[in-house]
Amino acid sequence: MRIAAALFRGSLYAYTALFFAFIYIPLVLIVVYSFNANPINMMTWSGFTTEWYAQVLGFKTTISENALYIESTDQLVAAVLNSLKIATATTIIATVFGTAIALALHRFNFVGQGFYRVVMFMPMLMPDIVLGIALLIFFVNAGISLGITTIIIGQCTFLISYVFIVVSARLAGMDRTLENASADLGANEWTTFRRVVLPQLMPGILGGALLAFIISMDDLVITYFIAGIDVTTLPMFIFSMLRRGIKPEINAIAVMMLTFSFVIASIGLYLRSRQK
Amino acid sequence: MRNSMVRLEGATKVFSTPEGESLKALDGIDIDVGRNEFITLLGPSGCGKTTLLQAVSGFVELDSGRVIIDGQEMNDRPPYRRPVNTVFQNYALFPHMSVGENVGYSLEVARVSKAERTERVASALRMVGLEGMENRRPRQLSGGQQQRVALARALIARPKLLLLDEPLSALDKNLRETMQLELKTLQHELGISFVFVTHDQQEALTMSDRIAVLSNGRIQQVDTPRAIYDHPANTFVASFIGASNLFEGQANGDVVTTAEGTTIRHASEGAKNSRVTALIRPEHFFLDATEGCPAVDVVVEQIVFVGSSFELFGRTEQGRRLSAHVPAARRATIGALQQGQKSRWYYDPSAVHLIQGEVA
Ligand SMILES: Nc1ncnc2c1ncn2[C@@H]1O[C@H](COP(=O)(O)OP(=O)(O)O)[C@@H](O)[C@H]1O
Ligand SMILES: [Mg+2]
Repeated sequence: MRIAAALFRGSLYAYTALFFAFIYIPLVLIVVYSFNANPINMMTWSGFTTEWYAQVLGFKTTISENALYIESTDQLVAAVLNSLKIATATTIIATVFGTAIALALHRFNFVGQGFYRVVMFMPMLMPDIVLGIALLIFFVNAGISLGITTIIIGQCTFLISYVFIVVSARLAGMDRTLENASADLGANEWTTFRRVVLPQLMPGILGGALLAFIISMDDLVITYFIAGIDVTTLPMFIFSMLRRGIKPEINAIAVMMLTFSFVIASIGLYLRSRQK
Repeated sequence: MRNSMVRLEGATKVFSTPEGESLKALDGIDIDVGRNEFITLLGPSGCGKTTLLQAVSGFVELDSGRVIIDGQEMNDRPPYRRPVNTVFQNYALFPHMSVGENVGYSLEVARVSKAERTERVASALRMVGLEGMENRRPRQLSGGQQQRVALARALIARPKLLLLDEPLSALDKNLRETMQLELKTLQHELGISFVFVTHDQQEALTMSDRIAVLSNGRIQQVDTPRAIYDHPANTFVASFIGASNLFEGQANGDVVTTAEGTTIRHASEGAKNSRVTALIRPEHFFLDATEGCPAVDVVVEQIVFVGSSFELFGRTEQGRRLSAHVPAARRATIGALQQGQKSRWYYDPSAVHLIQGEVA
């Protein structure tokens, strides 16, 4: 009995260790590779360098091989700026609409409520390819020329769902009697919303917004369909680089994105712990 | 009525249950709460106490009937425009605000200046014994302290009417008894009306000027604690408040005869030749024979000592269960009485209360 229990415990530890190794070793390797001086084979360590970062950031345009890997830093910067622009716009729009819909469905009882709830979930369940094609067909038929605007509209269709779900979960856990207490103390609906409902909802809204921002920054498939030919986002740019082989700069870009996501996630967690 | 603080006339509220049936939470309630009165709504869980309170505060919209507060009809007024405040069942303190912000909330909403607010919050906290706790968070407080914050928050705007929904039910016994006295004192000092909800009959008897007993959305009886205890209007009230020995039977002259043949003598004038239920409270039985007092013969099943008295449980020859309370000071009358022995329980016919009709 003892031995069986010990064996079970041991394998559980091993499983846990493997699980985390599986997830995190590739990430660690990318960070290591991004500082590897070997330009041809990054599996072989040939010294520490920050050259790839310098190149990505455009500090070293003189290196001859540069043209081979990154055509120009300007392109990368433009892609990053596009992604940030799109993510900022979609986050604002998706947060406002997702929160508003969650509030409406929570607050009011009306016919077809369940139906609307399902409608809100649908975009998340739909395969990206289908959504991408559907949006493309829609934009073309509607005569809207593809570009940043269509990317923003297209991403909002599913980002609203994410915000909706996060905010709804928070709303479901909220105590309705607090609103009654506020009204009882003389506050009208608007004041109650502003002083009681919104502060309680804030962690949910912020969480939804951060999620929307990260998903928007990350989206490739749907964006690819509706981007047109003039606009390139960061994921599209990296994807196009990959087609010419994995180059050391990609590791540098990946590490920077990782850091960025990590910072955003930390901010989210921090805000959450403070609100609790 | 000039002295009425709140009046409900024919208040009716029907809810539809998830199973699609309709449920009368309030069924034609008429009640009048006076100024400066401490009235308690007492009844079992689910009898409509909270609904009745919320009909006054405005969170429940009546299907029919009127709510009149301080002489003004309130039916169409939203809760935030009604001159009442509530202490909620679970306190409902705002978790994202400090104690001071919670207490000062109604003043802030009413745009009272910061300086005045600070001062009034301090004095409200002093009133409930939480001086200087402004900057704490509600979750850092004990249940009893949260209760006091809720009280201070509800009273700071100086309402003429305070509604309290089972405010003490979450507290432990000692604290509850302390708070009962404090609330009663506070109500007296402030000179405002309290409508207090509880399902605890002891609490209702201790605190109230008047008690309204509710069952199934209807008022069974409204009266002073003593009148309710001594002269319950029906068998529901008799058995809900205090322990009761009930004998349903046929009144004939000064005797009530139950179906199985037990006879109870009584001294009331009214009920002759009708179906009645005779009530004898356990403390009205005594074990020492007294000239002219009738008795019931029982077999003693259990004797429980509870400190201030002995509680005796017995059964008549015909199988009716009865109980008697003998004060500890009169323990001599119990003597060597033991479980399984026969005993005569005497009573004074004038202590027998007759209720029209039978046990529901
Ligand atoms: N919003 C509601 N919807 C449906 N039924 C309700 C609602 N509120 C209360 N009820 C029902 O009305 C009855 C009275 O409830 P309530 O006033 O809360 O009782 P109490 O406070 O005396 O325990 C209960 O049977 C309860 O289930
Ligand atoms: Mg209740």
